[in-house]
Amino acid sequence: MRNSYVGAVAGVAGVVLLSALVTAQNTQNSAPKSPWRYYPADRAVGDGGPAPKRELSGTWAGPSSGSGAPRQKGEVVPPLTDLGKQLFARNKPIGKFSPGGTNDPHSRYCDPFGFPQNMTQEIRGMTIVTTPTRTFVLLQYMDLWREIWTDGRTLPAKVGGRDRDALDPKYNGYSIGRWEDDYTFVVETTGLAPETWATKSGYPHSVDAHVVERFHRSSMNDLSLSIVMTDPKFYTAPFNLGEVYFRWVPNQQLDDFTCIPSEQQLYLKEMGDPAGSDPNEQNPQGANRGRGGRP
Amino acid sequence: MKTKLLVVVLLAGLGAIDRPSYAHHGAAAFDMSKPVVLKDATVTEFLWINPHPLIKADFKNDKGEVEHWTMEMGSTVSAQLIGWTRTTLAYGDVVTLYVWPAKTKLPVGRFNKVVFSDGTTMRDTQTGADDGGRADTDVRQ
Repeated sequence: MRNSYVGAVAGVAGVVLLSALVTAQNTQNSAPKSPWRYYPADRAVGDGGPAPKRELSGTWAGPSSGSGAPRQKGEVVPPLTDLGKQLFARNKPIGKFSPGGTNDPHSRYCDPFGFPQNMTQEIRGMTIVTTPTRTFVLLQYMDLWREIWTDGRTLPAKVGGRDRDALDPKYNGYSIGRWEDDYTFVVETTGLAPETWATKSGYPHSVDAHVVERFHRSSMNDLSLSIVMTDPKFYTAPFNLGEVYFRWVPNQQLDDFTCIPSEQQLYLKEMGDPAGSDPNEQNPQGANRGRGGRP
Repeated sequence: MKTKLLVVVLLAGLGAIDRPSYAHHGAAAFDMSKPVVLKDATVTEFLWINPHPLIKADFKNDKGEVEHWTMEMGSTVSAQLIGWTRTTLAYGDVVTLYVWPAKTKLPVGRFNKVVFSDGTTMRDTQTGADDGGRADTDVRQ
């Protein structure tokens, strides 16, 4: 017992010492710092005080940014309808089938995640820009933006289908936003491109899915995002897509990070395909490979 | 010596920092029980690409045959934070590479670590520990 105690104390002391050394090294390496560069080790301290009212504008670091944002909460999958089960069964997510066996359109081709997956996967940096009639969400990964109208309009009634006046589905759908209270901005979205996956794990969504996001700023430095999707065509109850946490980026700077098709193809040719899929999984390399979710 | 000390300190202290990781895929396609050791392999290419940097190297086996290996690392952004750059390895470098091999038995694998001619070791961000786990204990996904 005594040895365990001594070991624990030594371990804690070691971590503290090493933390100090790393911090010192970071400090040493980072002087002088460029205002153009993202430094994940430079983090907002504490909560920074009360959140400003009705204000999300600025640059935020997400859970994959390396800047200490808390881990996100995962999805809670509701029961699927028969049609939902059929579509889900066609999708072979990379987590289970590896790059060589997946048919995830993003993992194979850098195709867009589409919304809502792009708000739960590869969440690195995010900038929010507010104008009088629109709020823009700019995502670092894939250099993409979402447009959220705040001018009082309602969601479009007809997206996709056969009517001449119907709108085309879009990767990010059609979004409107409003303040639920001084610190919670609620976004509703529909009209999603149906070929994209709702989650990295391969769950589908239809064009008529209705997604509600709640951006809640609890302090100057803390922002959370919860996402719930209702899609009766494929699910018998609302689908909780999880909760993502963000921290304020002190110098408001982000770096590039994107999926590049030519590099992806090179990677798959040289590495991903030869490595194959886990033989214990059901998808031998090459079998049924194609663009997931596409008829 | 100073460089070696810095690498040791950085690796040992990784538990104290977070860094971006590319949670691109798991290791199901690889045999993580024992790394293949490519002693005195010659680097033929170091591709600093997304989603994973690739190390290509030629290795002469016991029979005198040259095996052409390719191995993937974690990600550029996470590797950068522990000292990797696009020029850490270069054509012609003679190094010893530790690789978790693919179950397909082809000469491809998941990178574990590299030992340079001066004895310096650099590891992968995600499978760099000797047991195939992360080389640290606190990395955000």
